[in-house]
Amino acid sequence: MYQKGVFLRQPLWKQRSAYHSYEHPESPPFPPAESAILSASLSHVPDHGFTSTALKLGARDAGYPDVSTNLLPRGVYDLVNYHLVTQRLALRDALQFPSDAENGKPIGVGSKVRALTLARLRANAPIVHRWQEALAIMAQPGYVPASLAELARLADEIWFLAGDTSVDMSWYTKRATLSAVYSASEVFMTQDTSADFVDTERFLDARLADLTKVGGLIGALGEWVGYTGHSVVNVLRSKGVRI
Amino acid sequence: MSAIQAPRTLVRSQLCRDVRRRIGKVPQRAFSSSQYLAQHQSPTPKSPQDEPGTTHFGFQTVAEALKEQKVAGVFSSVASSYDTMNDFMSLGIHRLWKDHFVRNLNPGRNPLTSPPSSPSEPQGWNILDIAGGTGDIAFRMLDHASTINNDAHTTVTVADINPDMLAEGRKRSLATPYARSPRLKFIEANAEKLDMIPDSSVDLYTVAFGIRNFTHKDVALREAYRVLKPGGVFACLEFSKVNNPLFDAVYKRWSFSAIPLIGQLVAGDRDSYQYLVESIERFPSQEEFRDMIKEAGFLVPGQGWEDLSLGIAAIHKGVKPLR
Repeated sequence: MYQKGVFLRQPLWKQRSAYHSYEHPESPPFPPAESAILSASLSHVPDHGFTSTALKLGARDAGYPDVSTNLLPRGVYDLVNYHLVTQRLALRDALQFPSDAENGKPIGVGSKVRALTLARLRANAPIVHRWQEALAIMAQPGYVPASLAELARLADEIWFLAGDTSVDMSWYTKRATLSAVYSASEVFMTQDTSADFVDTERFLDARLADLTKVGGLIGALGEWVGYTGHSVVNVLRSKGVRI
Repeated sequence: MSAIQAPRTLVRSQLCRDVRRRIGKVPQRAFSSSQYLAQHQSPTPKSPQDEPGTTHFGFQTVAEALKEQKVAGVFSSVASSYDTMNDFMSLGIHRLWKDHFVRNLNPGRNPLTSPPSSPSEPQGWNILDIAGGTGDIAFRMLDHASTINNDAHTTVTVADINPDMLAEGRKRSLATPYARSPRLKFIEANAEKLDMIPDSSVDLYTVAFGIRNFTHKDVALREAYRVLKPGGVFACLEFSKVNNPLFDAVYKRWSFSAIPLIGQLVAGDRDSYQYLVESIERFPSQEEFRDMIKEAGFLVPGQGWEDLSLGIAAIHKGVKPLR
């Protein structure tokens, strides 16, 4: 017999608040059983890739029979997603920026963003030879929206941790451009054979430099359009046009 | 969930109609009247306020003890034409649903990619297919295990309460490679009382288009929980509720007018198919059934179900936790 009240009871991990609180620790992003299977599966990814084999071996490591992989409704995408989410949340503790007082001079938001993006890229290093498989899974039509949402959350996390406090339109453009730069660098990294991914680092720097250039260009262009527009209006007014 | 799964306010006129139907013997209802019936059956919440000891048999309320017999009657009479009828009624889509169901479960243990770590470990899955009399799911499971996963050890036990359906399945199994192999077994059993199956012995418990007909669905779910190994999976393919109201109207019209007619024309049995569509209408919604699975102690993956064909059918899964 089931009762009405049961429908309302939410599991703990689903009780998310709609705001970010510094006071309360966040609840874990995955329920315990899924988390056990997925974290064990990740250790099989370097050998078996993002496949159902890795999931089955992981389930077995966690003490579950093969059939328990049915606990993951999206199969291998859940494995990719687990990697994305855990690495995004790990960024918070991955880098500790020295406070301004310790450092002498403040670290700019830009260099913090660069450091955080690089840290996130390096988190892919152990599985980078399998990362193209993951990209292919993420590009499947059914998973594209979820993957893009996760990319947006990553960009947001990086800007947040870098201490960005913008409340204007640049809030959007910053996140959009960082998403583009990050995903381009990620794809570049899958082809990178240099030692310690120095080429990826250079690629990232070049793209970030592009951003500042493009940002500056857009700013200058806007200024020019505004100035020319005003001048035209004023010239016309001086000729007696009622504007 | 209780068998006393609630009265939609039993409209008096409907009761009369039911009685008249049985007295009148000839079940000649015009399509429109059953359609009318379906539409005026206000979907009142299923609450356990109707008399104890009764349950639903389609839109009728019958004594619990009677339901099993009545269901047996329905399936005995449809056993031989079961497949043809399924094809006609679902326009062949039931095959796609079943294929998807089996492919998603991915039964079988591939000896190359995931060999058993110790010799004592079983080499294949032990699958129990409840209400699978005609073997539809069982043959698909075995085919998938053998051809996709190269697994020659997975076994399927087909259990059904109805000997006629089992006979149909046995007959059909002769056309498959599994007819006399130890991989396929048929047993006659009530899903609410699986005494012949030991505790924690089954990897995968499946029930496709069967749980709707159980008298006590909650008892059957608890029995499933008992026989499954820790980590084992309960998987259920069943008709469900259509979410899109526009499509729902079309679907209701099809099920309440076309299906009994097809039953009458093809199988010569209108009443059984009238029961079929009524029992579909009575079955709990996706959310309610998901919560029943949780109540039995299972963990549900994600939201707990997957809609097929906009919710005409749905796949529900539950995983027995390790402890």
